[in-house]
Amino acid sequence: MKKSLNGLLLLLVFALTLAGCGSASTSSNGSAADAGEGNTSDNTQTEAASGPVTVKHKRGELTLDKPAERVVTLEWTYTEDVVALGVQPVGNADNANYKVYVTSEAALDDSVTDIGTRSEPNLEAIAALKPDLIIANADNNTAVYDQLNAIAPTMEFDPYDGDGYNYDKMTDIFNNIAIALGKEDKAKQVLDELDQHYVEAKEKLAAAGKENFNFALTQAFTYQNAASLRMFTDNSVVIGTLNKIGLVNDWQPEKLEGYGFSTVGIESLSDVQDSNFIYITQPDDDVFGTAMKDNSVWKELNFVKENRLYQLDSTTWTFGGPISSKVLVDGVVEAITK
Amino acid sequence: MSSVQGTRPAMNWRTISIYGGGLTALIVLFFVSLCYGEASVPLHTVWDALTGRQNTLEHNMIWDLRMPRTVIGIIAGGALAVAGALLQTITRNPLAASDTLGINAGAYFIVVLGAILFPGVLNQSPFLFAALGGLIAAFAAYFMGGGRKSSPVRLALSGMIVSMVLGSFTSALHIFFSMETQGLFLWGSGTLVQNDWSGVTYVWPWVVGITILALILSRQWDMLELDESTASSLGQKVGLARAGGLIIAVLLAAVIVSVIGPIGFVGLVAPHLVRLSGVRSNRLLLPGVFIWGAALLVGADVLAKMVHNSSMELPTGAVMAIIGAPWLIWLVLTRMKAANGSGMSSSMSTGAPSRRFAFGPMAVLFSVITIALILLSTMFGGLRIPLADLLPSLFRSDGLFSAVIQLRIPRTLVAAGAGAALAISGVLIQMAVRNPLADASIVGVSSGAGLGAMMVIILWPGLPMYLLPIAAIIGASIAAVVVFSLSWKKGLNPSAVVLLGIAMSAIAGAGIQILIVRGAVYGSSGYIWLTGSTYARTWDQVKVIGLFLVVLVPLAWWLARRFELLVFDDNSASGLGLGVRRTRLLAMTTGVLLAAGAVACVGTVGFIGLIAPHMVRLLTGHKLRRSMFLSALAGAVMLVLADTIGRTVMAPTEIPSGILIALIGTPYFLYLMYRSNWHRPMK
Repeated sequence: MKKSLNGLLLLLVFALTLAGCGSASTSSNGSAADAGEGNTSDNTQTEAASGPVTVKHKRGELTLDKPAERVVTLEWTYTEDVVALGVQPVGNADNANYKVYVTSEAALDDSVTDIGTRSEPNLEAIAALKPDLIIANADNNTAVYDQLNAIAPTMEFDPYDGDGYNYDKMTDIFNNIAIALGKEDKAKQVLDELDQHYVEAKEKLAAAGKENFNFALTQAFTYQNAASLRMFTDNSVVIGTLNKIGLVNDWQPEKLEGYGFSTVGIESLSDVQDSNFIYITQPDDDVFGTAMKDNSVWKELNFVKENRLYQLDSTTWTFGGPISSKVLVDGVVEAITK
Repeated sequence: MSSVQGTRPAMNWRTISIYGGGLTALIVLFFVSLCYGEASVPLHTVWDALTGRQNTLEHNMIWDLRMPRTVIGIIAGGALAVAGALLQTITRNPLAASDTLGINAGAYFIVVLGAILFPGVLNQSPFLFAALGGLIAAFAAYFMGGGRKSSPVRLALSGMIVSMVLGSFTSALHIFFSMETQGLFLWGSGTLVQNDWSGVTYVWPWVVGITILALILSRQWDMLELDESTASSLGQKVGLARAGGLIIAVLLAAVIVSVIGPIGFVGLVAPHLVRLSGVRSNRLLLPGVFIWGAALLVGADVLAKMVHNSSMELPTGAVMAIIGAPWLIWLVLTRMKAANGSGMSSSMSTGAPSRRFAFGPMAVLFSVITIALILLSTMFGGLRIPLADLLPSLFRSDGLFSAVIQLRIPRTLVAAGAGAALAISGVLIQMAVRNPLADASIVGVSSGAGLGAMMVIILWPGLPMYLLPIAAIIGASIAAVVVFSLSWKKGLNPSAVVLLGIAMSAIAGAGIQILIVRGAVYGSSGYIWLTGSTYARTWDQVKVIGLFLVVLVPLAWWLARRFELLVFDDNSASGLGLGVRRTRLLAMTTGVLLAAGAVACVGTVGFIGLIAPHMVRLLTGHKLRRSMFLSALAGAVMLVLADTIGRTVMAPTEIPSGILIALIGTPYFLYLMYRSNWHRPMK
């Protein structure tokens, strides 16, 4: 008798678990719906809806009856682009980490609904926002493109196809998003201002005698006590940005790095030890400040011995759009002219 | 221990060769390991650095980056090997090692947990956490495996189950706390990378101290190798020596895991290599084991460094698994003398057979629950749909609720279909290998299918997704063909099949780890898929799993009557004129294909194939067709439920179904294992 009871008990546990999850769901989706309502007013702003727009993206051309107002972005790069255009998305993937990694100059409003992780965005939460445009990323979202497109017209970009997410691709994607939002004028203004910003930055560098400054740029983190460094290569948007102000990247890998960086350990730094070392780390993982401080190899590198280390703010997002480029230039100029 | 008995001079010669060979190998590998790294350092510079160190960049690199990595490899390999040798002695089990007993997995789980709950405390004494976890896991494996009455196979099996359970908990932690644990991922596969000497400084006093203690006590371990009656006449000392040996082994493994992560197979392979020489006395055995373990791990690390590419480091543990798993296969093939299956775990029961409920009412009850649950599950998720709106929305194509339901219906159906397929696959495979504790995941088929599918996802991302099920079938078939052709000579002996399956899983698992490390930049989606996910499944997957079910279930149904004869042991089954092997093979093939279909659709969801048939057996007994029918429904219910909960409780973040199944299923499964020993201790 005991055995049969066990089986029934298991069924009972299942039933109870189901009942439990029912009550949990009520509260969570209530707030999602509220946030969605709240957003409508924010984004239906100044510009009146004009006629149809057609944009190019990875899957061909997408035509919208009118420029999009309620946008859901599934990768932070596109979120930042949308914010740069003066629009807040109605939904963004992983708000909490966005705030950790992406500059506060591209801050999200509290009204932006979190739609889950970047790798598995919650399709139901997206549908509940009733977007009129979804901007998806090929790396993470290819498999769900059809479902996204069934919810709302979906643009998909693949910044890393071919030779990586370089500067031209950055502006190209930015302009396409601007067309979809009916913000082409704003986009032109943003990029023009950015170019002007570069000119001013170059002047500051020249004034400090730092034109044609050589450098190697890395984003570093710890993998179980061992330093892991993402060394950026010429085909990345960050190096493209710094080239605009006349700086010269010294990290040259043997092969093309599709994502625009090589992941290496501390040994590889000997290749660029005569350069100037610019780095980004997270505050709770200060690789070079603490972990490397007493490392004999690190201490023996020329740029350490000769004190040519430059730290950037932890929210310098290295895979972003125009705002990230501006923030990067500001950070680098300030660090090396100090 | 079944080591070769030799004459005394021969033994000495062999002893010298095993020591000399091991030391030579170790010295060569030590030097080679210093030569390999990211920066290219000329050979003579390495030599200069070794003979006269100066404060230059390259010399520092050799001494303070490569040397600590190599030295930690020597210490870790040696310690794990000594732990393995001790465990083999005290359990009188040639398959024992800290990884096969779940100690490494337990230590690693607690360390990851500590990193999340008490990061400060963890940094001060990771060893304490690891030792606690290792000890708990070892006891769990020991008692679940039947304690002192356990057979070698049984103990290895229960250790592996404990590892699986803890592994799924660790996966859950990685997904729920991805920020806190992201630095730990590579470590999870075992890595020797060091920043400086701090790892070595932390580890070596422990390892040296404990190893010397083990040597001092070597007579105690010798005593444990005596036959049971002589040993038991020595009374309490034996029990004490066993307990002491266990603690020493766990401490050795734990201190290593706390610094380099879980690395398997060193502790299994090295002691056997040395025992091949005929060395029996532990005073001679343990140092030899240490040397060979060190050489093995440093060798694996050199290989890992050689295939290093510019995007990421290959985990040393994965290389070690690829080197070590064939050894497990070899051990199984050579050490398992009981070639035919008679006498070994021949009953499907985990206790006395029972049939408490009539089939008819149960069938109705199960069907009602399944249908009701599928319907109910469309109500829940990121957005709750009130019952009143449910039916109207089902038949409309516009409106928010309808849009959401269009997303939910296919994924619910995929979950139901895959759950049913896994359950039926479990019934078939359990029958075929006549082991109530087997299913597709345990005989290596799920890992094989996962590896195949993962290759499509990561290596050739451009390929159309309909190739995924084909790749999964190919992977599953290769794994199954290897496992079954190797165990063919043993008459498809259940234990041989399961152990070869473990080895297969280890190889495929290592391959998957390598793929993840190579493919991961954002790449957590592959990892989530592996743990089993019903996220965003579409009508395409419904068609795939539907096709598998439509083709294979009638076949299984038709074959069921033949399979039923396999409940008897091999001899009487042959007496009944049944081609035992052929029938098993048919059952096996059908089960493998069903599992491959499920893996292609929802990733490597484990446990359903184990639990669903058990549950049903408890309720209605052994009739195979009935059991198959009810198990299919139970499997469907489990996965639909996991899917529903996974998309509801943490919305908008999804919890992978495989994790939920593991969290629900493993306690039940461990309990079943324990019970099966308690009632009917296995040989």
